Formats: sequence, C-alpha cells, structure tokens
Amino acid sequence: MADMTLTHEQQKLQALAREFTAKHIIPVASEWDEKGEFHKFILEEVKNIGLHCMAVPKEYGGPGCDSVSQSVVMEQFGYGCCAFATTLGGNGLSSYPLAIAGTDEQKQLYYGRLVAGGMGGFALTEPGAGSDAGSCATTAKLDGDKWVLNGTKCFATTCGVANIMVVFASTDPSKGVKGLSAFIVEKERDGFSVGAVEHKMGIRSSNTVELLLKNVRIPKNHLLGNEGEGMKIAMKTLDMARPIVASMAVGVAQRALDAAVAFAKAYLDVNGKPIGMQQAVSFKLADMAIQVEAARQLVRNALRLKDAGVPYTKEAAIAKTFATDTAMQVSADAVGLMGNYGYSKDSFVEKLMRDAKVTQIYEGTNQVQRIVIAGQLLR
Amino acid sequence: MSYALTEEQQLIQQSAREFTREYIEPIATEMDRTGIHPSAVVQQMAEHDFLGLYLPEEFGGTEAGYLSYVLIIEEISRMSGAVASILINHASLAAYTMYRFGSAVQKQECLPALCSGEKLAAFALTEPGAAPGVGSHKVIATKEGDHYVLNGHKCYVANGGVADIYVVFALTNPEAGAKGMSAFIVDAKAAGLSIQRTIGKMGLRGCQSAELIFENVMVPQSNLLGAAGAGMKIVKEAQLVASVAEGAQVVGIAQAAMEDAVKYGKQRVQFGRPIAAFPAIQTMLAEMATHIHIARLAVYDAASLIEKGEDFMKEAAMVKLFTGRIGQSALIDVIQIEGGYGYSQEMIASRFYRDIKGAVITESSAAFPEKVIADDLLA
Repeated sequence: MADMTLTHEQQKLQALAREFTAKHIIPVASEWDEKGEFHKFILEEVKNIGLHCMAVPKEYGGPGCDSVSQSVVMEQFGYGCCAFATTLGGNGLSSYPLAIAGTDEQKQLYYGRLVAGGMGGFALTEPGAGSDAGSCATTAKLDGDKWVLNGTKCFATTCGVANIMVVFASTDPSKGVKGLSAFIVEKERDGFSVGAVEHKMGIRSSNTVELLLKNVRIPKNHLLGNEGEGMKIAMKTLDMARPIVASMAVGVAQRALDAAVAFAKAYLDVNGKPIGMQQAVSFKLADMAIQVEAARQLVRNALRLKDAGVPYTKEAAIAKTFATDTAMQVSADAVGLMGNYGYSKDSFVEKLMRDAKVTQIYEGTNQVQRIVIAGQLLR
Repeated sequence: MSYALTEEQQLIQQSAREFTREYIEPIATEMDRTGIHPSAVVQQMAEHDFLGLYLPEEFGGTEAGYLSYVLIIEEISRMSGAVASILINHASLAAYTMYRFGSAVQKQECLPALCSGEKLAAFALTEPGAAPGVGSHKVIATKEGDHYVLNGHKCYVANGGVADIYVVFALTNPEAGAKGMSAFIVDAKAAGLSIQRTIGKMGLRGCQSAELIFENVMVPQSNLLGAAGAGMKIVKEAQLVASVAEGAQVVGIAQAAMEDAVKYGKQRVQFGRPIAAFPAIQTMLAEMATHIHIARLAVYDAASLIEKGEDFMKEAAMVKLFTGRIGQSALIDVIQIEGGYGYSQEMIASRFYRDIKGAVITESSAAFPEKVIADDLLA
C-alpha cells in the first residue's frame, strides 16, 4: 500500500527498496548473521539499482536523494537486515563530512570513489574516546606538504572493507576538543592497516574493526575544513546521520511488529481461535504499532525540517532516541509474544532483538542524545 | 539484604556459590558457544543433592525446602542461566508435576531416580505451531485397552533429547479443548518416541531444546498423571511453581550483570572521570539495584509460601510479571552502560542479555501472570 504522506517519487523509491529487500536481503539475512561475515554480494546487488550512495549529489554522479527518500529506503533495508542497513548507513555517514566541509576537489575524490562502487568509512571512536570524542589520542602532524597520522581507532563500521574514509585525529592535543580535525584517508596509504575484527552479539554481518595508523602520510589537502574543526564536523555529521539510524530502527521495529501480527493470526489457542483474538495479545500488538508509527513520524518530521533548511538538531536526537528505544522494546516484545518459537533460531525475531540493541548505542548513545536535546532546551 | 535466611539456607547458598565457581565457571562460555548439554555438571549437581533438594526424603530428596532450592538457582544463574534452566525443567516442572499429581506408586517409581541423578527429566508441552499458547495441541492420546497410544510432535522441549523421562501433555479428548488435555509419564526409551532435531536458540545455550516425535507410543494407563482431563490444571500449577525458580534465575543473571556493569563503570573513563560518576549512569544502576532487590524479596516470599504449602499462585504470578519486566530492562541498561564493549560477543554481558530473555518468557497462556493475578483479585 502506498504511503500517501510521501511524494510520488518517494513512493516509487520505497517500492523499489521494498522489492529489493524481499528479493535480496531477507532470504539470506539469517544465514549471514549466523556466519558473522560481511555480505558483500548484497552490496553488489544494491549497486545495480543505484542505491549504494544515496546522499551523493547529482552533480557528482550520485542520485542526490533528499533526506526523506534516504530514510524511506533505509527503513526498508533495516526491515530486511539491520547489519546490511548499517553498512549502507555507514557509507552515507562517511560522506556527510564532505557535504559539510568538503571542497569541490575533495568531493570529486570522495564521492567519485563511492559512485564507482567503493565503500566509505567513518573512524571517530577510539579505545579511550567513545562518547567523549574529544579525548582523541590519534594525532596528525604536518610534515612539509603531508599530514602524518598515528593512532588506533576502534568500532569503525565497514572500515575493514572500505576503500576511502574520514578519520578524526588531533592536530593539537593540548586543545582537547578544539584540537580535533577531520581527514580523508584512502585505504591504500602506506601505514594504514586493519586490526582486530569485532565479533558482536548482533548486526553480525556488518564489518566492525580496529584501524591502525602508523605514520600514514596523506596530502595536505586531505584535511576537511580547517584545523580544529573536527568536532564541529563530527557533530553536524551525526545530526545528519541520526535520523538515518532512526529509520533503520523503525524498519527493525516494523519487522518485529509484522512478525508478531502474523504469529498472532496464525497460531491457535486451546479453543482453536487465533491468539490475536485474546485481548492480552491484541492490546500488546496495538501498543507495538503505536510506538512504531510514532517513531516513523518523528523521523520524517526531523528530516522534513532538515530538507527545509531549518535547524533540526534537537528533533534528530529526539527521533534517534525514540526510534531506537522503540526497536529495542518492540523486538523484545515480539520475542516474548512468540514465546519459545520467537526465542529460537526457527524464527528471525531473536536476531531483531540482538540487532536492535546496538541502535541505542551507536551514532551517539541515547545518553549522548539526551545531552544534545537538553543542550538545545537549556541554551 | 534483610530477608532472614536460616543458617541452613545460608550454608546451602554458600555451597551453591562454591559449586558454581568450581564446576560452572570453567565451562560457561564454551557451553554458550557449542550449545552442548553439560552432562558432567548435571552429575555434579546430583552429587551435591541439588536435583531433589526440596523433595521429601521418602522419595530420595533432601527436604531442604523450596526457598533453599531457589537460592541454588539464583547462585547458579549468576554464572549460567542455561544450567539453571536444566535444573528448573528437571526439578520445578517435571519432578514437581510427578510429586504433586502422581500416585503413591508413580512417586515411588520415578522420584528417587530423579533425585539421585540417575535420570534427568523434561516437561514436554509446546508443539510446533502452538507456541506460546498451550492450544492446538496436536499430540493425541488414544485409549486402547489398558494403554494410551500417543501420536504427534512436541517442540522446544528443554532437556529434550538428553532426558530419560518426560512429562508429556496430550489430548485424551480432542473435542473438549483445554478440558481434554492430560499429562503422562513417558520413558525416553519408549518405542516410537524419537528426537526429530535439536533447536538453536538465542541464549540459554547448553540447555538443549529438541523437537520430539511420537509415533504410536504405547503408554500404560498407569502412567497417566492425575485424572484424565486434568492437564491444564497441572500445567498452570507446575508453571507457576517454576515461575518462582525462573524469578530466582532472573535475579541471579541480573545481579551478575549489574555487578559487571558496576565494574565497567568504575574503570571506564570518559570526560575525565569514570562513567560511574555520572548521574545518568548512577540512575540506571540505582534503578536496576532497586528492582533486583524487590524481585529477590518477592521470589523468596513466594518460595516460602510454596515451602509451607500455602496458596502461592498469585504471588508466583507476581514474581513472573515483575521479574519479566525488570530482568529485561536491567540487561538493556547493562549493555547500554558498557556500550560497544558490552555488545561484543566475547563479553559476559552480551551472554546475560541473550540468556535473560529466555528466563522471562511465558510459555503457556494458562499461566499468563496478569490473568492469574486478576483472577485471584476478582474471585
């Protein structure tokens, strides 16, 4: 059924993404979750329909999708597999710093790689710098016309398979947050290597790695914006990324709701009636639907503000928090409602519950979102 | 903790703690990885008299009371929810059913072997397509002379495939729905009873779940537990008794997880101080500590009622309702506090997250806690 709150173009994109998800993602998601391996082949397929780098503007060869369109597609991918959606979401995330601070030359380089089918990465977190991104220990020092990067990044999404990425490093450690800067790093640079691969409880087929930077020399013009603007770029990037993560979370929640509804219709109680006819069950389904719909509309609201060019930081953080909390709650409710079947590998809802948890953590924990929201309120 | 435990109960708690450290801790992580039933641990539990702890001495038990028994469940759960589930399915579901509803002869014949560990027991209720309601039972028991002939499938049977004896629920009068269900004692070696498959699950891995097939399994009429048609009443009582043990399981897992989060929160430094110093983290910890404390008191209280032979249904249902909510939310918060680290497959918190969900599932609509409590209030 067409979603009439969307434009005709957005509806078409939604249908395309839904079809793709049903055909290429859903059939293999559980198998790749079990293996915990990166699903490169789905990525190849998604390139065929041109949805691998939705955020890249038309003038650089990308589809230049508006934010709501990106959200609509990411919701569908999240519906199919949160790990795959995370990969594509990370790809988008990695390109946002270019939109925020990139020169034309930098955009040509970065977007060019993405349009050609390369993957992008975003390396901000470090062992000692999670929520506290300012405590960055990776350094960048200017040596002639090259920046020399040294340090270790962790929990870097897709960076084991990405061929270009935005890496944050301190150009002046004495300044703390104000010394943070953002750089474009290609994977072929000498001294760049991938360390340990994270084995996670969920989003297992998403690639999460440690990055090791040892005297990695990159051209001077790979600095994004100015020295010391890293934190500002990171925050704006995360503003843009949060509603996308929220969209994936809405997809996860919708999948859990659909599974629970299908179960409630199919399974019969002792009197031979579908359990959905029991009020204890039907009210639970209604509660789940209320949350999913509210989350979806919060996300679209934030993105419409963004596309209209007005401030949306608070709304993005609100949407991210509510949508990811919804994914967590609704997926857990679906497992509960479906009992031992839901808890078993016979069903996919247990995967949803493992996947959902990370959405409350990455792209800024939901505690960091509250710092952002409260910061806006108390300004 | 002000709940007055007797000296004997404290000694039992202490011995369970030592047992857990000696026999379970070394294997818990590997058992989660392989999902293999820990038969050596079960034998050790038998040698420590855990298997028949609350059953009367005349049937080979220790007669130490139900509260002592749940203290053991709590201690074991601090390291392994799976081992606790093996014990609960054996002692609270299967053995309890035989003890409470069996004839003098049935009790003499079955219980001593269950207390000594010579035999392991299981409770076969759920059917494929019937989860989580008890309804649409497709195992049919047809009376033929002095036997019943059982045909059908049972699914998600905990201890399935490793048990020596099953309590099996089957319809002796399919037309009568809930009133036509009866319970039988079935030997695992009975001709026609086979294991279709073992079933993978999200957590509690090591407590093996299996699908059983009954093909013309001849069960002597003397193996009928209670009256024909008493199945639903038996399910309700057995599951409520088990709810109290599962409540102890939730308390044990949540307590261990909280202690892990406290340890992490003290060590993890962000923004120049341990994250445990932040009110946002302290609030989460304070809430889960409060919930766990109240849950523990409710578990001990309900266990005492069972031990004294008093009405316990409402209190047991309250344990189920409350621990179901707080157990899950505690683990969602523990992973939140530990962030990307807690989400890693290698960390114990991620196992607790998967395990606790299995401990809070309500498998039978007969024992829906809200229903049991409301029925009691409205009686």
